[in-house]
Amino acid sequence: MKDPDSIVFVIDDDRSVREAIESLIRSVGLTVNTFASAQEFKASNRPNVPSCLVLDVRMPGLSGLDLQRELVDGGMRIPVIFITGHGDIPMSVRAMKAGAVEFLTKPFRDQDLLDAISAAIESDRARRLQSGEIAELQSRFGQLTPREREVMDLVVAGLLNKQIAMNLKISEITVKLHRHQVMEKMKAQSLAELVRMAERLSQSAAGN
Amino acid sequence: MPERDVPWRRGVAVVFHYLLAITSVLVALAGTKILQPNSLRSPLFLLAIILSSWFGGLGPGIVAGLVSTIFLDYFFLPPYNQFKLHPDNLPLLVVFFVSAVLVSYWSALRRRSETELRRARDEQEAKVQERTAELRQANEQLQAEIAERLRVEATLRERASLLDLTHDTIFVRDMNDRVTYWNRGASELYGWKDDETRGEVIHTLLRTVFPKPIEQINAQLHETDRWEGELIHTKRDGTQVIVASRWSLLRDGARKAVAILESNNDITGRKRAQQALQKTQAELAHVARVATMGELTSSIAHEVNQPLAAIVTNGNACLRWLSNSTPNVDEAKQSVSRIVRDGHRASEVVGRVRAFFKKAEPEKTEIDVNKLIEDVISMVDGEVRGHRVHVRTELTPDLPPALADRIQVQQVLLNLVINGIEAMSAVNGLRELRIKSRSDDKGSVQVSVEDTGTGFSSEDADKLFQAFFTTKQNGLGMGLSISRTTIEAYGGRLWATRSENGGAVFEFTLPTNGMNA
Repeated sequence: MKDPDSIVFVIDDDRSVREAIESLIRSVGLTVNTFASAQEFKASNRPNVPSCLVLDVRMPGLSGLDLQRELVDGGMRIPVIFITGHGDIPMSVRAMKAGAVEFLTKPFRDQDLLDAISAAIESDRARRLQSGEIAELQSRFGQLTPREREVMDLVVAGLLNKQIAMNLKISEITVKLHRHQVMEKMKAQSLAELVRMAERLSQSAAGN
Repeated sequence: MPERDVPWRRGVAVVFHYLLAITSVLVALAGTKILQPNSLRSPLFLLAIILSSWFGGLGPGIVAGLVSTIFLDYFFLPPYNQFKLHPDNLPLLVVFFVSAVLVSYWSALRRRSETELRRARDEQEAKVQERTAELRQANEQLQAEIAERLRVEATLRERASLLDLTHDTIFVRDMNDRVTYWNRGASELYGWKDDETRGEVIHTLLRTVFPKPIEQINAQLHETDRWEGELIHTKRDGTQVIVASRWSLLRDGARKAVAILESNNDITGRKRAQQALQKTQAELAHVARVATMGELTSSIAHEVNQPLAAIVTNGNACLRWLSNSTPNVDEAKQSVSRIVRDGHRASEVVGRVRAFFKKAEPEKTEIDVNKLIEDVISMVDGEVRGHRVHVRTELTPDLPPALADRIQVQQVLLNLVINGIEAMSAVNGLRELRIKSRSDDKGSVQVSVEDTGTGFSSEDADKLFQAFFTTKQNGLGMGLSISRTTIEAYGGRLWATRSENGGAVFEFTLPTNGMNA
């Protein structure tokens, strides 16, 4: 079966609620995958497409909040929408701090849930796109030799070839050679583009 | 002497005296005749007269004088051996006779006074001897008594020092409650020394708080010679102690009450621990109940909310399936059938809850309501002091035991008492909580809790016992509702009225074994 365009995961231990939410989401043409427990979800094979998670807070075994923490700790950045029978303020604050996109109290308005789902999928899509570009840049950067990286750092810093040669105590010809390799390997059309690439790389490095 | 008064003896003595008089005169005659015949100057007659009157008195003396005169005339005056009286001899005989009479008289007088003197002396001597004997006897008795007393005192001292050895507090007071004995244990407990308490009125000194009126205690003491109970005393340093007190009445030989021996045992620690334990137990029971209630409520809410949430979501989904550009009737049908299923499920939950509450049959035991009231008062000690509330109890003694669950009734009473205390927190004047117990005309036990708070308005009166009605800022509005349900579960009633002073009165009854139907 071909992977869908996007997917919504629903985890709720209550069959009635699970089935109702599934039906509601399908009624707007989205793909849904339901689970009766957090463990079941973790054990599943999930397609690598933009997705979001609709999660019941109160569940036997691993609770919704516990699962959210595990996902965050494991570096899995899936947007989470919480639904709960009795949401209190400390609980919702905790969930939002951990990165939940929405916190809905049952019974919720259908539009609220659907809006939250589409917003979550969009944000996941954008994130995935962004992280895909950075991954590409990182892989290009990975091809550079240590000397080439040094040269790139100094080029991006705005130094002239002569200055770079003095700095690294190598000949100006050699600098030119390295510089050419850098532009080639990073697939940069201009110095300006190389500078932008360097910025994004340092941002993602700082972000991690 | 008694013999003197015997008549025949006296007669014999008189005859003897007269015989002696005549005999002595005859002897004098014979003597004179032998020694100096015909001579008048013989003193022997006078000697006979003196002798007669000395021993026989005046009568024999005169007889001796008369006989001597006749003998003188007959034998020694001429004409001799004749009774013929010569006129020349008359003066001589008269003088002789008169002399004889006078000698007799004086002699008898002398003799009598001497006899009397002797008798008086004898009597005095006898009396003195008698007195001396009495005195000696008295002295001996006194000495014996002193010895006995010394012995008793020594024993007493020994016993008193034994009393000093005990850790118990022992003191003796007279019938005016003044201390007459104070052992070392008492000094240690209360802080006053033996000599500082002597003569002090004990109940004033120790600021005794009695468990019931002192008149009742004294009545029992005089009836049975004993009393036992718990007292609260204030020590010298101002702290209070709770003592288990035993009183014994001391009676003298005539069964007259003379003193009371009181021995006290400090049970403050035990009592405090007991109170703390009871309080903790009650709090635990309360917390457990609240927790159970909360958990149950939350659980019921969740159980009912799940199918409701599903119904709402299914309804929404159904609408969406139908309003799509190509309506999906199959999906819509499935949604509706899920709605029906979930509706039934919600209804089942409600039914289960109802069945659960019906099943919980309360357990009944016999409860001493007065004891329960006292327990609750000791539990709210902190709140009472914190809110500066004065608690007054009017408990009817010897109430029949009520039939209910002790902890649950305790919770109800605790709830009413706390309500009362909190109702008075805004009152500036008298803050008095009056708790009464009595038996009503149907044989139930009735308890009332009256406060001097602001009471409740007549429109609130109907709502007081409704669930979720509260006038408190942090109140849940469950207390009175649950209290009423609890009391009614045991066949009692709980209601509220307004007191004369505007405060609230909460009253409840509980059935007993001796109920009139």
